[in-house]
Amino acid sequence: MRPLALAAIVATAAISPLAAQGSTAELLGQAHEFYERLEVERALPLLRQVVSPNWPFEVTQEQRVEAYKYLGACLTLAGKRDSAVLYFRAAIERDPFTELDPNLFTPAQLATFGEAQRRTFAVAVRPVASARVDPRTARVTFTIAATHAALVDVKLSTVGAGPPLSLFQGTMVGVREMTWDGLLADRRLAPPGRYALAVAGRSRLTGTSDSARVYFDLRHEVAPLEDTLPGLERRALLPERISPEAARHDVAKGLGVAAAALVIAGAATGDLGGGGRAEADVVAATAAVTGVVAFLVHRRQGAIPENVAANARRRAERDSANASVRGRNADRIAATVLLVSPAAGEGTGP
Amino acid sequence: MRAAGVIAGAAILGGGAPAGAQRALTVAPLVSLAEHRVDAGFGVERSLGPILGAVGTLRFGPRLAVAVRAVGGSLFGSTGVIDRDVGELGVEASVVTVPWLALQAGAARRAYSTKLARQTWTLVGFGARARVAFAGDAIHGVWQATLLPAVSASALRGPDMAFRVTTGLEYRIRTTTLGVEYSLERYDFPAEAGVRRLEQLSALTLRLELRLR
Repeated sequence: MRPLALAAIVATAAISPLAAQGSTAELLGQAHEFYERLEVERALPLLRQVVSPNWPFEVTQEQRVEAYKYLGACLTLAGKRDSAVLYFRAAIERDPFTELDPNLFTPAQLATFGEAQRRTFAVAVRPVASARVDPRTARVTFTIAATHAALVDVKLSTVGAGPPLSLFQGTMVGVREMTWDGLLADRRLAPPGRYALAVAGRSRLTGTSDSARVYFDLRHEVAPLEDTLPGLERRALLPERISPEAARHDVAKGLGVAAAALVIAGAATGDLGGGGRAEADVVAATAAVTGVVAFLVHRRQGAIPENVAANARRRAERDSANASVRGRNADRIAATVLLVSPAAGEGTGP
Repeated sequence: MRAAGVIAGAAILGGGAPAGAQRALTVAPLVSLAEHRVDAGFGVERSLGPILGAVGTLRFGPRLAVAVRAVGGSLFGSTGVIDRDVGELGVEASVVTVPWLALQAGAARRAYSTKLARQTWTLVGFGARARVAFAGDAIHGVWQATLLPAVSASALRGPDMAFRVTTGLEYRIRTTTLGVEYSLERYDFPAEAGVRRLEQLSALTLRLELRLR
């Protein structure tokens, strides 16, 4: 298994895009080859070169941690336990997620590494990976680490607003995954924006404290929502009451019909014997009385029941349509998918 | 008469056929008290009597309507004037231009018959009908003017001037409308041998409009 692990490490180092990193990777590769052949004394100088401040080539954080880890492993095999602990601690301080695989390392190395973990306290949280999460069926996952037993408080908060949501509060050791259902403390879906995941820990062995923080952006993927119908404007509704002016106009309209009937009869029958205006008089009288009665009735009782009913019907139709729209929109919002992506730091988010 | 009958029949059949959602059919039985006056150079002859009939209206949407009118009755002459029967069949189309105004055009065939002779008239006219609502929309005042530019009457030359004017009220109660109208038709014929024939038909009409569908 060891050659396989070593090959993986070398390959990881070798795919670095920079030539300088390639040099570091080559040196690490050689060191690993010596380590695998148990030529510890030949591996140690190479590993020390990598972590030396005088090493001229770029060293990534992963390469540096790897070098410290194998320095610790080599020194353990060389019987230099204290120095091994120091290098293991250096690896752990730089990456609290550092672990030794029990299948690849000896019990002595594991014990020495455990000692280093006990002496070093650090908490960490992995950068949030990009993900598309349906909160109805899946969860956003965060990975937290504490180097040894500690009281850990994990809080999620919107950058710049809102109270934080406590995801975890308790004792933990090692690496732990935590899930988030996408809801905030008020049990509503978290709005789009930039979020911070803060981890604060207090060692139960040494009493020291440490904290870590990562940021991520949250966006909503939701089907386009429908607009509700606008409120009924005044002109879209029928008048529900008769105005005093309209009531007065009824008299004029009635008299208008009456006058028309009398004028028609009077003008036309003049050269045909005159008289005989009874039919016109009936209509004229009816119209005049209608105008006056309409005026009196409408002035006293101004409501227009037909219009009131028609307006109520229109309002009910509009309300019903809007209720349907709101229902469909609620269904779409309920099917909102959360899009999570890592972010660099404080900011306004997407 | 035959042509008018065909038009009326087609309109009635059209109204009875399966109609679109916008169509509405109304039938309005009516009764009129009509007075007919004629001055053919021998003094004014007056006859008065009831006329019964109905108007069927088929509305194609809110703007267009076609109406068929069929009426008939007897006019009883005053002293020395022969009684006569009158019958008429007409068709009329109207288009609403603005909510209170409709333009109309129509044609009618009318017959006067006495025990001595029978005279038929053909009337073609166009005009406008103003319909103004009283407050509350349940009552409407109506004013209508129709020019009759093409009038022919058997044994007579066409009139120089012919028109019809109407005014009245409509009272709506739910789907039923009661109409009260005064109408007057006037025909001034050209003078022949120094005699100018004038003819006039006025009527007081009660109409009950029922919406069938």
